[in-house]
Amino acid sequence: MASLLKINRRAYKLRQENPVAAFFVNAFLIFFAVVSVVPMIWLLLAPTKTDADLSNKNPLMFGHLSGYIDAWKNLQYFDDGVIAKWAWNSIWFTGSIVVIATITASLAGFVLTASNIKFKRTFLISTLITMLVPPMALVVPVFVLMDKLSLMDKPISVILVSSLYPFGAFLSYIYYSTTIPKELYESARIDGCNDFQLYLKICLPLSGPLISLLAFFAFIGNWANYFLPYILLPSSENYTLPIGMGFLFYSTPAINPAVGATSVPVGKPEIALAGVLIALPIMIVFLISQKRLVRGMLSGSIKE
Amino acid sequence: MAKKKRIGSSFAMYAMLAPYMALLIVFGIVPIIMAIKEVPAPSRVNQDGGWDAFKIVLQDFRFLPALKHVLGFMAIYVPITTIFVIAVALMLDINPSKWKKWLRLAYIVPASISGAVAVLVWYVIFAPTLSPIKPVLNALGIEKSEEIWQTKNLTWLFAIMAFFVVAGNWILIQYGSLQSLSQEIIEAARMDGCSAFQLGWRIKLPLIKKYIIYMGVLIFAGGLQLFVEPQLLNTGVYAGIAEAWSLDQLSFELAFTSGDFGGASALSLMLLIPSLLGALIVIFKTDMFEEAEVSGKRKAE
Repeated sequence: MASLLKINRRAYKLRQENPVAAFFVNAFLIFFAVVSVVPMIWLLLAPTKTDADLSNKNPLMFGHLSGYIDAWKNLQYFDDGVIAKWAWNSIWFTGSIVVIATITASLAGFVLTASNIKFKRTFLISTLITMLVPPMALVVPVFVLMDKLSLMDKPISVILVSSLYPFGAFLSYIYYSTTIPKELYESARIDGCNDFQLYLKICLPLSGPLISLLAFFAFIGNWANYFLPYILLPSSENYTLPIGMGFLFYSTPAINPAVGATSVPVGKPEIALAGVLIALPIMIVFLISQKRLVRGMLSGSIKE
Repeated sequence: MAKKKRIGSSFAMYAMLAPYMALLIVFGIVPIIMAIKEVPAPSRVNQDGGWDAFKIVLQDFRFLPALKHVLGFMAIYVPITTIFVIAVALMLDINPSKWKKWLRLAYIVPASISGAVAVLVWYVIFAPTLSPIKPVLNALGIEKSEEIWQTKNLTWLFAIMAFFVVAGNWILIQYGSLQSLSQEIIEAARMDGCSAFQLGWRIKLPLIKKYIIYMGVLIFAGGLQLFVEPQLLNTGVYAGIAEAWSLDQLSFELAFTSGDFGGASALSLMLLIPSLLGALIVIFKTDMFEEAEVSGKRKAE
């Protein structure tokens, strides 16, 4: 409450100081907000319309809710309804990644906080480096490795590679070092807790906010991931939704002028529906978790 | 005499770290070693093998154009995104609007439109017959999508696409960093007669410098790996418009079209270096992760 008052005072100052500037600042912020939401509104509305309506009618007008059902039915004509398989792949790949990444990162963070193991600092620094290097940088080398391990075109390859979660290990490390006092470990040890129990009985019950933070970042990082599954999973039945959507671009005339007319009724509304299936879950997670995003990205340097 | 066991270095601790450690080693470090070993292996283009693979890639006729494209893209995308994000975060910080919460929600929406979805959405936005900004396109005299989707415009188009994917997230994060600044400093500066703009420029910006560097490095490293949008546009929408346009695409082409894994690995390694340097700058030259490092060091001692 106190901080709210302060923020309001800060804001009040600008209005008092320079009302014209305050007006322009506000107008600009609102304009950018509108620009930000228009593409998503178009995307959500597109499957409610027919291909012809998309060109002829107001792009931001609502069509019919049944359009969603029609578009889904039409997508079933593509490759014997393979879209359902892609959606399922997206769900179970991402689900497995979120679970494995969250567990391994949380355990690692705990060990880095509570233990005295050798090379701890080396591990911490390598974690920080891996976390700041974009995963795409390693895709070709990872392909070479997977090829040697004969794991090509097997979902486990994408799941394992994506489960490496240095950012999660770092978040857990910061979380445990700032929320659990060292004395708690000491007294638990005196009470006869072994190191496993230390994690299970002391840390895990206090890990609620951390787990949700880890799952959030693991989900948004992997649900729409393209490059890695594109390279490691070449068969159509192993595609995830983003790869499948790219395949739809390639094989239907919806937005690809080079593809001639086909008998498969996949047009822009159908492609847009595939887009909604990818974008909507991420948007919902973002909207309900925006505080987690800020807290996670600034953890380690801002003390709450 | 039995050596005294250090507290907290039991088998259990190693066992709990093992799954993460295994992933870090197998998928973080081993691929780099394998890539280094792959480079000198004899291949169709590098028949005698050896480190000439680097030279061969640098001399590939597609390398220089791809490098130019990516540098051009970065020259637009990195500064514009960084400056815009900071400006909007500062504006939000001093903004009196009651709808601030809604503005923040709106800003984060485009983050969910990336990759394949982004290609579709931007295809539509720049298509005069379909676009929600039809009047703007008409006013600019654009009548056909093909007038926009040309190889010469791609740098800007990809910069716009990439900007919208990341800007909203970073605005929220930098807004968070501004909100965390000590109110006393702000009040003191104001007592000294700082206007809202001076306050932003002279007081707040220097105080969040490390977050700006952190953001700059992550935006830079991510931008360098441009792949999905040009690849999809090239294979799925306008065939040939962005053939081997970015360095990552070239690396992909080398590996999967020419079967030249040595060359692809060499290029991947070259692309890895700037990202590694960026990471080292953030870790050792800012105090972004100081606390982590110091406590790591302390406990290791």
